[in-house]
Amino acid sequence: MKFDTLIIGGGLAGLVCGIYLQKHGQRCVIVSSGQSALHFSSGSFDLLNYLPDGTPVERPFEVIGALKQQSPRHPYAKLGEDRFKELSNCVVDFLAEAGVQVVGNPEQNHYRVTPMGTLKPTWLTFKEQVVCEQEDKLPWKKIALFNITGFLDFYSRFIIDEFQRLGTECVLHEISFPAVEGLRQNPTEMRSVNIARLFDKQENLDELVRALKTVETDCEVIVLPAIAGLSRDNVLTYLEERVNKKVCLLPTLPPSVPGIRAQQQMRKAFERLGGVYMLGDTVLKADREGNSVVRVYSYNHGDIPFMMKNVVLATGSYFSQGLIAVPDKVYEPVLNLDVDFIANRKEWYDMNVFAPQAYEAFGVKTDDDFRGISQGQVLDNVYVIGSILEGFNAIKQGCGAGVSILSALYVAKRILSK
Amino acid sequence: MNLQEHNISDNNFEQCIKCTVCTVYCPVAAVNPAFPGPKQAGPDGERLRLKKNNFYDETLKYCLNCKRCEVACPSNVKIGDIIQSARIKYSEKKPKLRDFMLANTDLVGSLSTPFAPVVNAVLGLKPTKAVLDGVLKIDHRRTFPKYAFGTFESWYKKEAKKQASFPRQVSYFHGCYVNYNNPQLGKDLVKVMNALGIGVQLLKKEKCCGVALISNGFINQAKKQAEININSIRESVNQNNLPVIATSSTCTFTIRDEYPHLLGIDNADVRDQVELSTRYIYRLLMQEDIKLKFNGKKIKVAYHTPCHMEKLGWAYYSIELLKLIPNVELTVLDSQCCGIAGTYGFKKENYKTSQDIGESLFRQIEACDIDYVVTDCETCKWQIEMSTSKSCEHPISILAKALE
Amino acid sequence: MKQDTKKPFDVIIIGGGATGAGTARDCSRRGLNVLLVERFDIATGATGRNHGLLHSGARYAVTDKESAEECIKENMILRKIASHCVEETDGLFLTLPEDDINYQSKFVDACLQARIRAEVIDPKEALRLEPAANPSIIGAVRVPDGAVDPFRLTSSNIMDAKEHGATILTYHEVLEFLREQNRIIGIKVLNHRTKEIQEYYAPVVVNAGGIWGHNLAKLAGVNINMLPAKGALLIFGHRVNNIVLNRCRKPADADILVPGDTICLIGTTSSKVPFEEIDNMQVTPEEVDLLLREGEKLSPLLAQTRILRAYAGVRPLVASDNDPSGRSVSRGIVLLDHAVRDGLEGFVTITGGKLMTYRLMAEWTTDLVCKKLNVNVKCDTAEEKLPGSREEESEITKKIISIPKTQRNATIGRHGDRAERLANNTSLDNSLVCECEEVSVGEVKYALNELDVHNLVDLRRRTRVGMGTCQGELCACRAAGLMTSMHKYCTRRAKEDLASFLNERWKGMAPIAWGDTLRESEYTTWVYESICGLTLSQKQEE
Repeated sequence: MKFDTLIIGGGLAGLVCGIYLQKHGQRCVIVSSGQSALHFSSGSFDLLNYLPDGTPVERPFEVIGALKQQSPRHPYAKLGEDRFKELSNCVVDFLAEAGVQVVGNPEQNHYRVTPMGTLKPTWLTFKEQVVCEQEDKLPWKKIALFNITGFLDFYSRFIIDEFQRLGTECVLHEISFPAVEGLRQNPTEMRSVNIARLFDKQENLDELVRALKTVETDCEVIVLPAIAGLSRDNVLTYLEERVNKKVCLLPTLPPSVPGIRAQQQMRKAFERLGGVYMLGDTVLKADREGNSVVRVYSYNHGDIPFMMKNVVLATGSYFSQGLIAVPDKVYEPVLNLDVDFIANRKEWYDMNVFAPQAYEAFGVKTDDDFRGISQGQVLDNVYVIGSILEGFNAIKQGCGAGVSILSALYVAKRILSK
Repeated sequence: MNLQEHNISDNNFEQCIKCTVCTVYCPVAAVNPAFPGPKQAGPDGERLRLKKNNFYDETLKYCLNCKRCEVACPSNVKIGDIIQSARIKYSEKKPKLRDFMLANTDLVGSLSTPFAPVVNAVLGLKPTKAVLDGVLKIDHRRTFPKYAFGTFESWYKKEAKKQASFPRQVSYFHGCYVNYNNPQLGKDLVKVMNALGIGVQLLKKEKCCGVALISNGFINQAKKQAEININSIRESVNQNNLPVIATSSTCTFTIRDEYPHLLGIDNADVRDQVELSTRYIYRLLMQEDIKLKFNGKKIKVAYHTPCHMEKLGWAYYSIELLKLIPNVELTVLDSQCCGIAGTYGFKKENYKTSQDIGESLFRQIEACDIDYVVTDCETCKWQIEMSTSKSCEHPISILAKALE
Repeated sequence: MKQDTKKPFDVIIIGGGATGAGTARDCSRRGLNVLLVERFDIATGATGRNHGLLHSGARYAVTDKESAEECIKENMILRKIASHCVEETDGLFLTLPEDDINYQSKFVDACLQARIRAEVIDPKEALRLEPAANPSIIGAVRVPDGAVDPFRLTSSNIMDAKEHGATILTYHEVLEFLREQNRIIGIKVLNHRTKEIQEYYAPVVVNAGGIWGHNLAKLAGVNINMLPAKGALLIFGHRVNNIVLNRCRKPADADILVPGDTICLIGTTSSKVPFEEIDNMQVTPEEVDLLLREGEKLSPLLAQTRILRAYAGVRPLVASDNDPSGRSVSRGIVLLDHAVRDGLEGFVTITGGKLMTYRLMAEWTTDLVCKKLNVNVKCDTAEEKLPGSREEESEITKKIISIPKTQRNATIGRHGDRAERLANNTSLDNSLVCECEEVSVGEVKYALNELDVHNLVDLRRRTRVGMGTCQGELCACRAAGLMTSMHKYCTRRAKEDLASFLNERWKGMAPIAWGDTLRESEYTTWVYESICGLTLSQKQEE
């Protein structure tokens, strides 16, 4: 199977890279071992919320210098300030073309609402979701919050209390109708996605409209958990036109309907551009000639290898098994690239689960061009992108999605310029 | 310390980290609330069943074994295998007569083909359907695949000599469907292979792959048939040096993966030599300087990826072969389950689930302007032809039609 | 509350472990007006931090006949009175090639002398009975070991005590003893939840504080020399074995593998720890390695099984000699009447012993209390079944047949006949909060309403919420949501509680956080920190 570029890993980074390359004339294949972490998305993409030393960041563009000083191997440090700005400026349009509508500005973080009702800084938020300009204020004074009766992955009480603390009045309404009750017959499967599937059907969506309408309120906005718009376009517009009010979504616990939708849209965009997406396959080994990887073998394809000019490794961190931790080491299982980690296991952890954990910052070593390194030797045609990279703590610094998107775009451009 | 370095449990069930991705892609849970869903029925349930077997729940029978949960799982958990193994291990329900009839495609087929016109006519009759529905609980709305008048094997007997004359040979596992219902597909395969300069042999002894036996709980019989098949395959591969190709994605998947995973039959020595014809042909065309000659007729097709094809990851080969046809207009449908899952959709209790699962696929198909839906699975074909206005063919048949 | 405190109780019991709960049950059944105070939640000390092994006594047969005899007697009693807390798994004592096979006959003789059924079986038969056992064993003895769930056991003793009029105050810490001359007349306690300080009076105060009883005694002005011995254990993700596996040799480290509910656990290590550490036990990587190395010898499968967490308990051993390991210290029961021992009236200490003998310890203590109070009622705790154990599973099943099957089995397993409280569950109540352990909304509500649950960790002890493979990944948040919706507490406290629950889970995961456990942790961190924005500093904000 001959391709220009093989991308291993079909999450945010892999898809962004694939779409960009495909758009610019390359023939790419994405091999993904199962679905990606986008399925647990908060509905927002973070660029940079905190510096490694914990300093909060409001304006990411202004702190790249400081970041570089604190973490010289941070992916953003490798990009450098100019490229960081240039790449992050084009993301909103890029995603829109790929079917993912987001709002946000890399020069200034905005705030998103968490499933607990608190506000958290972020860069881009799916356009259906609540966006706040200020850290301590919602854009509305009066909100009607709707939840589905019996839906356990959305915590209306938390949200109401937090909203009231922010000075916004919030009234809870519960929705239930026969189709929803049908779901409830199953003790576990009343999950966000299953509810969303109901609302992909016209008759249920109309039930929702009726439920939203029955409540006479003078609220400015109706807020729902993110349980609509899985495979149907413009659901919110449909609702808004019928109830004559603004309607917004708040994230739920996983699975994340907006995240899945984004994943599906991007995969479709990639495939529309002619890319090949292979799900549920695992790369097993690679043949090298000199410092290049020339053939890659996978579980499903057995003796028929992938042959390509470039390999992009976007396999994610521990969750996606891009990195594997065993009692005495952390390694990269696909190409056996060099990994930055601490040898002594005791130092991997802090006993406070909310403190920065050393293990969170382990990752695959690369040169400044994001090329992978094997036993100290930089590989010519292997690029590494996304959360598998060394030098940053995605959770503590709030930069996971940013690193994925920007490293993917950078590497795609780099491959094209070869 | 190398302790715990490879702590992979059976079917990877402990690798499950409860991320819920499988629940998103389960076609059954989406339409049938009686099914506990792949996470509960699979790894979560397995943990409870290991505690005590009374945690086994008969609702696991609603799993249609599409393995889409496995394809989606980011942790490589063999969710479908866990569920099917649990059914094998714990189910105390005795299969019904109906299940016996549905499962024994081989037996029923060999009884029917000699009388195909009569059987087909009778199976189409309302009173027959009423009996099937009322007594056997085979849903009356279900259309039966027609039986062919004369089997593929009997046709092949006359062909054997010609096939032997080719310098290169492969063995063909035709499966029950080609033998009893659609011998034309077998003939098409022979035509395509011959066009590539390859003769087609049959296995010394071929039994139904057993997929329906497994899903209906006839495990011992499935094991017996599997042993016979694997022995024939061994003889072909190891003694005669002939790889084995098949046209059915489900037979192929069953022989390669379900034999070792569910039936405990070791096929490691021959597994890699059993594959789908489209993959075999793809490799051949990539590696050697052989070209197929086409007639250049215009054809519009939409490819449907059967569940087991999705699991094998081999839709790529069928699609790439279809792309070789000049003047082909190819649409690739979203990969989703058609709902039939072999004998599953025939059962009265599953009919609604089955049709509900397929609904969005049917809609997508109806919206296409095409001559054929193309797919590698015979039961998908039945389902699509019954539930849409389009006819459905195997990629090999499409290829055969397009050859000069 | 003020007037209540003036009204004296007959007896105050300090400590909500199995012994304290058992004593509360026994005293209240004999008609005494009982108050039990516990610093945290029930079963938070050594009670909830051991193997959960229903000892047959075989382990002690060679070294400590008295303990062995007590064990087998109590073993038989618990099977009867606490059937829903007990699993009759049987146990095997395995001889490995590296062990001395001659020990086996000595062991069997000692067992039989202590009236413990001990049957030498063919190693092949042993492997047939328990395929997870090490296939290289050269000898096997079958004994009536079993598994006992300490949380359930304690909870159901508490339940029975309450149903006989006892007052149970969890999260109440004793600040000082109230004395009149040489007599203890009551206690001053701090209510950790309201931060109020209250006084309670009774003619007899029982110190059932386990290892913490050492400090309690000191507070009362008497001295008991206890030896804190740490024992670390590992919990595996699922059941590897269905029969308890022991090594047939002199008791040593990591030689018991017990199946308990959905998991199995290997333990223990043994090391002396200073008193300053007993509130903050942490398992070291060395202990983890030792447990794995030894555990693998009992069942090689452990090498491939995911470890869920590591934890350690502190054995309350009363030092009788200077043995530094704490192993050859007698595990016998120590009942001290401080009036006789130290001239301090109204104060009794019950310590030593083990989970297995909690009931006997409670009986002895109650006998002494009754004697002091001139009450003459016979103990009936060996005959009367505990709440939950009073009906057959089939009967209970019939009454709650509308609950989906797996959920029903899990609930009956946890609550026995008390699962009947869920008979009127609606489909809303049947929704699962914890999917790993099949804990429903209805069960959580029942625990919140009736089982003295004040936070998520308490809820875990009553229901197994968060005890499954995901260690609280989805269920913790759902449970917190439910607790607020039932107005158990405000949302800010719920968030704090959630944060400390996750921290508590992490404490057990960190020592073994590699492979899938690390993947799980990373995922949980995404969910709670990244998506939900939860931090521990919620507490500091308050």
